[in-house]
Amino acid sequence: MDAQEYAIEVTDLKIRYKCLNRISIRKSLFSMKKSEIDVFEAVKGVSFAVPRGEIMGIVGKNGSGKSTMLRAIAGIFSADEGTIDLHGHTVSLLSIGVGFQKKLTGRENIFLSGMLLGFSEQQILEKMDDIIEFSELGRFVDKPVRTYSSGMYSKLAFSITAILETEIMLIDEVLSVGDVRFKKKSYAKMKELITNEDRTVIIVSHSTETLEKLCDSILWLHEGKIKMQGSTAEVLPLYNDYMS
Amino acid sequence: MDRFISDVKKYQKYTIYAAKSELKSEVANSHLSWLWWILDPMLFMIVYTFVALTVFQKSEPYLPVFIFIGYNSWNFFSACLRQSVKLVAANKAIVSKVYIPKFILIFVKIISNGFKMFVAFSLVVIMMIGYRVPVDWKAVLLLPLFVVLLVVTFAFSCILLHYGVYVEDLANVVTVVLKLLFYLTGIFFSIYKRVPYPYSSLLLKCNPMALIVDSMRQVLIYQSMPDWGPVIVWFIIGVVLSVVGVHTIYKHENSYVKVM
Repeated sequence: MDAQEYAIEVTDLKIRYKCLNRISIRKSLFSMKKSEIDVFEAVKGVSFAVPRGEIMGIVGKNGSGKSTMLRAIAGIFSADEGTIDLHGHTVSLLSIGVGFQKKLTGRENIFLSGMLLGFSEQQILEKMDDIIEFSELGRFVDKPVRTYSSGMYSKLAFSITAILETEIMLIDEVLSVGDVRFKKKSYAKMKELITNEDRTVIIVSHSTETLEKLCDSILWLHEGKIKMQGSTAEVLPLYNDYMS
Repeated sequence: MDRFISDVKKYQKYTIYAAKSELKSEVANSHLSWLWWILDPMLFMIVYTFVALTVFQKSEPYLPVFIFIGYNSWNFFSACLRQSVKLVAANKAIVSKVYIPKFILIFVKIISNGFKMFVAFSLVVIMMIGYRVPVDWKAVLLLPLFVVLLVVTFAFSCILLHYGVYVEDLANVVTVVLKLLFYLTGIFFSIYKRVPYPYSSLLLKCNPMALIVDSMRQVLIYQSMPDWGPVIVWFIIGVVLSVVGVHTIYKHENSYVKVM
């Protein structure tokens, strides 16, 4: 395949966590031994390429490095070795837990998150009403985020990322938030976004049902290495067997 | 350094919007809040005037204005530095979800603290009019002095931001050091007059805040030229430290999230 058709190219990626026992001046002044540095390699040399417009699912047991790898692709972590090439596409990460400033209102957070994702104020203003409507927040959008329930947090996070559409979307186990009605809505919205030919999506999920319905191909990550990569029909049954 | 300039431009709107929102949220939470930006310096000014006049019995011409200039600049400097130490951890929610150059967080603090200093300085202007402090054209030199203050503050904030991620009790150390520095900055007394030589000139050269505060007073109250030599030296030190700080942040910022 022509290199131009790939949206994401990952080559020999290695990501390590240095579990630095955070240095305390008081302790290091008084103790003689050096603070130990534990190195944990979360991603151990992974290479793959995702063609533009493809929807790839990532599965693997907990601790296999899925979220770490997504964060590296989103630019939040740096790779210790290897490269990640996004070919200039904009990327956003949607994950559990929210990147909001608690003291600020929902509306202000929409602006701030949008600007951090690379959108201009004008673009965000245009989509503002859509976001508020999708999140079902109503007048709460002008109240501080610390007054929200956890369901409201997640709905707002989802709405912002779903409506401010980036060229690559990374979804980290978040298709299952909210009540039944919101789940259906978010699933439908995801489908709509995903079927856009130009958008590349990577979904991390433990729900094989969702992956079966949405994904073209699956990457099985096991303890930091690729165990298997292929079409959904090939990989999912084997993964299911392994996990049961 | 081009990366720095392009990042600053790219996140410009974000920085301003974030600073505005922060100021707004402070005001929204309490009844007195924005008034406090004026009350706080005023109350301290009264206390220090009392201490200087009654306890130490050492006066200065236009003592309240004298104190005010020092206190406002000091507040800006110490607030920015104190907040920078834990800045990455305080913004954990954003930093772990999306990429943002970490010194942008410093800029947000500088703008919001700077705004508060600006509000407090407008009080200085009012007081100067009230006390009929004689002023000449040299008051305009306040602007380059503000620039030096900004650069020095940014430089130290960058370095503290970086080390604050890895060193746990840096916050305590910084609090103590800032307290010490406060007394060595001559906010409610004049270093020239009260500190014996050679300590006075040592202090005025080595403590950037003492130098800046004194220069501001020279220009505003005494209508004389500040000692430009040390000011320029500190400006250069500030620029160099800023470059080092920004470079360090760029190099290590993607590992900050891993430590938290």
